[in-house]
Amino acid sequence: MAAAIRQPGWYRGAIGLVLGAAFGFGLVIALRAISGLDLFQTEQTGYPHVVVPLITAPFGFLFGFGAFDYWFRWAAGKPTIPEDHSGHGAYSWKDYFKFNTDHKVIGTQYVVTTLFFFLIGGLLALLMRAELAQPGAQIVAASTFNGLFSTHAVVMIFLFIIPVFAGLANYVLPLMIGAPDMAFPRLNALSFWLLPIAGLIFIGSFLAPGGAFDAGWTGYAPLSTGAPLGQSFFNIGVQFAGASSIATALNFLVTIITMRAPGMNLWRMPLLVWANLSTSLLVVGATPFVAGAQFMVFFDRILGMNFFNFLEGGDVISYQHIFWFYSHPAVYIMMLPGFGIISEIISTHARKPVFGYRLMALALIGIVVLSYSVWAHHMFVAGMFSWLRVPIMITTLLIAVPTGIKVFSWLGTLFYGKIHTYSTAMLFALAFIITFTVGGISGVMLGMIPIDIHVSDTYFVVAHIHFVLFGGSVFTIFAGIYHWFPKMTGRMYDERLGRIHFWGTVIGTWLAFVPMHWIGMDGMPRRVADYATQYGDWNLLISVSAFALGAVQLVFLYNMIVSWRFGPKAGNNPWRANSIEWQVTSPPPVFNFDEIPRVVGGPYEYGTPGARHAIMGGEDEGAEVPETKPSTVTAPS
Amino acid sequence: MESASIAAHGHGHVDEHEHHGPPEAHQSARIDRTILGILLFILSEVMLFGAFFAAYFFLRVVADPASWPPEGFELPVLIAGINTAVLISSSFTVHYALEAIKHNNHRGLKLGLTATWLLGATFLFIQINEYIHIGFTPRDGAFGSIFFSLTGLHGAHVFVGLLLLTFANIRAYRGHFGPAQKDHLGVEVPGIYWHFVDIMWIIVFLAVYII
Repeated sequence: MAAAIRQPGWYRGAIGLVLGAAFGFGLVIALRAISGLDLFQTEQTGYPHVVVPLITAPFGFLFGFGAFDYWFRWAAGKPTIPEDHSGHGAYSWKDYFKFNTDHKVIGTQYVVTTLFFFLIGGLLALLMRAELAQPGAQIVAASTFNGLFSTHAVVMIFLFIIPVFAGLANYVLPLMIGAPDMAFPRLNALSFWLLPIAGLIFIGSFLAPGGAFDAGWTGYAPLSTGAPLGQSFFNIGVQFAGASSIATALNFLVTIITMRAPGMNLWRMPLLVWANLSTSLLVVGATPFVAGAQFMVFFDRILGMNFFNFLEGGDVISYQHIFWFYSHPAVYIMMLPGFGIISEIISTHARKPVFGYRLMALALIGIVVLSYSVWAHHMFVAGMFSWLRVPIMITTLLIAVPTGIKVFSWLGTLFYGKIHTYSTAMLFALAFIITFTVGGISGVMLGMIPIDIHVSDTYFVVAHIHFVLFGGSVFTIFAGIYHWFPKMTGRMYDERLGRIHFWGTVIGTWLAFVPMHWIGMDGMPRRVADYATQYGDWNLLISVSAFALGAVQLVFLYNMIVSWRFGPKAGNNPWRANSIEWQVTSPPPVFNFDEIPRVVGGPYEYGTPGARHAIMGGEDEGAEVPETKPSTVTAPS
Repeated sequence: MESASIAAHGHGHVDEHEHHGPPEAHQSARIDRTILGILLFILSEVMLFGAFFAAYFFLRVVADPASWPPEGFELPVLIAGINTAVLISSSFTVHYALEAIKHNNHRGLKLGLTATWLLGATFLFIQINEYIHIGFTPRDGAFGSIFFSLTGLHGAHVFVGLLLLTFANIRAYRGHFGPAQKDHLGVEVPGIYWHFVDIMWIIVFLAVYII
């Protein structure tokens, strides 16, 4: 037992958690004693005795869990333990519950954890739909409803969509570029473990006096600065999720820039790698802004500062500017990795090179640049500077151009391709193109000031966000999970169940979210527990469809869990894909490669006889490796 | 010496004879991974400061109070100016330390790192002293909020930089580090961070105290 306590792990983690909480609590008491305040008096929204331990306890847990052991030894100037790879790779299910530095284990941890939070977020949505099935108040109180839609959005955004992409990329990206691991494996593991902490803080806010944070996922000031304790849980949880996101993005960038296999120049990188490069640039540049915005709200709430207090010289609108300067790029953080996944799947299953490969990559970079210039289109009715409206409208509409390039490139890839639809992944990819285009068009409508003024804060906005986030991002996530499931588990999922899941999801999505456009145009406000009776019929249809959509996800879960254990062996390359992750075994060896592969061509040269993307270690010993200077390499056509 | 570079690289060195390990990654860019990592981290730090500078802009320009600083607030520009000189000089000493170890001059390394640490600690001490005697609190109007947030955010970065320098000092006094780049990343990386902290202070100082 004593040995178990000294070793990094769950025992030491639990002790660290308690000690961390005690340290935070003691710190508050000590500081209050020094300042001559009452030791235990709690202010209306302050609650320092809860909030400070909420920050210190997770750090205590991470210390105990072993996240910082290596760095501590280094900091103290002790000889560090040479890397023995004992924390690398998974040999039993228990290894998934450790501080593991293997990018493949971390990728799996990410995907499973985020799917768990997807379920929680979905249940929160169904609770809302149950309330909204009929006009009038039935199931939850109006204030609880506010907490439900806020936590639903926060869990789905910060704990499902953003991290699940990081998880999928964590698994396949190092393999794709021929790297043995990520650049900073310990930082990678730390990024993962910050995530469940953020999730527990968000969900835990339901237990706080006054209920869960209920100012929306946007947490606008001054609504948030005066809200009950739960709002502080949001402020703190966002910091953990944001730090996780930034650390992962930094890791991806360094990995992509410095660890590509020989011959893998920029124009031979698979588009998934390009997509994660672009996303990571957005995360590193934009996420600090949401951290800053939440810090300011937190300071206003806890320390009595006046950032957003008009009477004391504060500026209320500034919150929205700072928040959206992150949160508009964030919608591309939630979409660009999906673009990468779709490019991989469409090209593989249409047996054709990606149409306009270089333009596809440049379109991603174009979206990155433009997305920093469109934040204020969320604020057309907020009373911001009127001169900013039209320029922002123009940049907003401009961003449809690179996005359109991507859609047309996928269509060009499909055109005259040998389209195989035997894989559920490809079905989701095809459905994604259609659904996302619809969501994109309603986005262009919302970018136009007059329409935006008309439909602001109505269900039209809800319809748009769910068409691009559910019909867009979540479809790409499903596509990606089905596509790489055989690689990650070594087994094949059940295509019949996959089809049931696919059709249920597509029909459910359209039935649930299309009517929202109409009732939104008619003026039904969002984020309200009750509504006028005239919208009753449509809302009943939406609720029924939402429950069907939720139920069909159970088929997906069953398929994934049972196939992981009992599915038929998948083989190394069931989709006959070219990229490097498919050239190793399924699941890949612990260290990915015995020898780093050499890249000799583009990743998508399907249909070209004799074309190779990579030569794996141990084969074709004498094969010529062409020069790797980008300028001398011809574009994949 | 070895361990410093292992710390930086994760799987730095693998003993081929004892166990099977991963192959060495192909180095596809000239820049060292750790250096690129700290530069990207600094980019995100710059954006965090950017969020607070955005708030500063809104409070000063958009909310447009009658005067800035608003009436009743006065900043000790002279003391802060001296403090600025202290911090800027520490950038030169940390650069001296790095140059010293590049020429295998361990005495110069220790001298430079110790001087940097002392200058940084002096800065932080004067800053805290300034907070105590400044005559207003973070609760006093939006000006108090943004003043303490910007200088406090910077102070937190000085603190983190000092921690990194402490680690570098411990290792320097134990005789670690060497002239090859991989052997003195433990000096170079904190040094880069320290330069960032200094440059950021110049911007904070100019924005808050001077203009």
